[in-house]
Amino acid sequence: MRHYIKVEMLRMLRNKRYIIFVVAFPVGFYLLYSNLWGSESDQATGLRGSVLLMVSMAAYGALAAAMMSTAVPWSQERHSGWLRQLQITPLPGRAIILTKLISSMLLVLPSLLLVGLAAVVTQHVSLSPLQWVGLILAMWAGTIPFAALGLAIGSLLPPDTAQPVAMIGMFGLALLGGLWFPESMMPAAMKSIAHVTPSYDYARIGWQIAAGETPHAADAAGILAWGVALVAFALFAYRRATVRD
Amino acid sequence: MNAIAFTDVTKRYGDVLAVDGLDLEIPAGATVALLGPNGAGKSTSINMLLGLLRPSSGEIRVFGATPETAVSDGEIGAMLQEGALIPELTVAETVDFVRRLYPRPLPLEEILRLADLTELARRRADRLSGGQTQRVRFALAIAGGPRLLLLDEPTAAMDVESRRTFWDNMRAYAAGGRTILFATHYLEEADENADRVVVIARGRVVADGSAAEIKAGVAGQAVSFLLGDQPVAGLDALPGTTGVELQSGRVTLRTTDLDATVAALYRKTTLDVRDLQLHGADLEDAFLALTKEA
Repeated sequence: MRHYIKVEMLRMLRNKRYIIFVVAFPVGFYLLYSNLWGSESDQATGLRGSVLLMVSMAAYGALAAAMMSTAVPWSQERHSGWLRQLQITPLPGRAIILTKLISSMLLVLPSLLLVGLAAVVTQHVSLSPLQWVGLILAMWAGTIPFAALGLAIGSLLPPDTAQPVAMIGMFGLALLGGLWFPESMMPAAMKSIAHVTPSYDYARIGWQIAAGETPHAADAAGILAWGVALVAFALFAYRRATVRD
Repeated sequence: MNAIAFTDVTKRYGDVLAVDGLDLEIPAGATVALLGPNGAGKSTSINMLLGLLRPSSGEIRVFGATPETAVSDGEIGAMLQEGALIPELTVAETVDFVRRLYPRPLPLEEILRLADLTELARRRADRLSGGQTQRVRFALAIAGGPRLLLLDEPTAAMDVESRRTFWDNMRAYAAGGRTILFATHYLEEADENADRVVVIARGRVVADGSAAEIKAGVAGQAVSFLLGDQPVAGLDALPGTTGVELQSGRVTLRTTDLDATVAALYRKTTLDVRDLQLHGADLEDAFLALTKEA
């Protein structure tokens, strides 16, 4: 299975779409936005723009990586016959979905770390070591619901539908989570939708850690609930997709 | 020991009976063609052997175990009808990945050699032609060194030249005492590459034997010659003969065994045989006759 994970990583790192959306976009936008608003401070969180944007763009990159590395590739593998090719090897079925989840979690790391690095190098963002560790771990573990959502989409939809659905889901979650512009600027109706999305909780936990606070229980509970629900949904969808009649 | 044993296997999709009480045993080491028209149940049978489909009733054994066990023990390799590769991986990466999933894989170099891929080892899968992709899929099927190799219409997308190379490669793999079952609707492929041909139609075995036996079992072979004024009596008693027709001095004997009939014609009769013509049935006739019945 270790070799399987390695192969999965290799193929995604060679995939142009992954590199553009997941690595180049968040780092590029961070550099652009932090130049514009990096020195302003945010009223809601009290964070400096350069720190706030670091969390937002890292969160977007991680969210995008988790969904891009799962939904469409997985849907394509099911439809192209590659899944069948794996099913007739001694590889157990559960190893396939587990590998997908682990690989997607690993593929989240480049955007998290690169955005952080860009923030440190260009904006001289400095956090305590404990904050860095906490931030990276929280933002890493927090992508589980998104990877699960991507796998569920890939299990349920054919590639040509999985593609737009994953894109809309990814940008929708990023937008509603307040990753592109602050939630305080949203109209009331959008706000109330935003508050129940996992990406909203996800970004807030990041901002809270960056501000030196302990993550709020409500946000942690929110993302945990989403995590459990979406992993269960992904497993159900995987079973459905691989059922042998 | 039997590599494959189907016992009264039925597979039903709703109202459609894809496989209808199939009984088939294939001893280890044989190369067998599963010959039949589209929709005969070939792919369904192969997918059941791989545990990808479950029989509605009956029992399937692969080396004495269930298909699922045989697959997880790495006993079966297969080339299914569809199967794309991962576009971003090279040929060698793909083959190496799959071979590592098996407990007793062949060495990478040997797999690449057996599938004629040594030259293409570093090429990415999305830069391969259709025929080259088929070769990679053959490589994946043999990567684990399986004792049973299943090929479902493996040459469907190949040109004549690739086909010949493919069967040479398959024979090289079979030479190690391995069992091969391939589905095809090309009669020549069955004739040239299998020791035994199992003809199936509508989910049942309609003929089973060597290509020669199957040809022999079918009407359509005949010998004719000028009889002139000689007596026709006794000709219907020649070995293999199933019918005698006389038309303006030329007699036609329908036979199931052309060789035996002709031999007896010369040795056991004193007739003066002139202008002898033979009409052999080819496997195509046999196949059409067998699959049209019922």
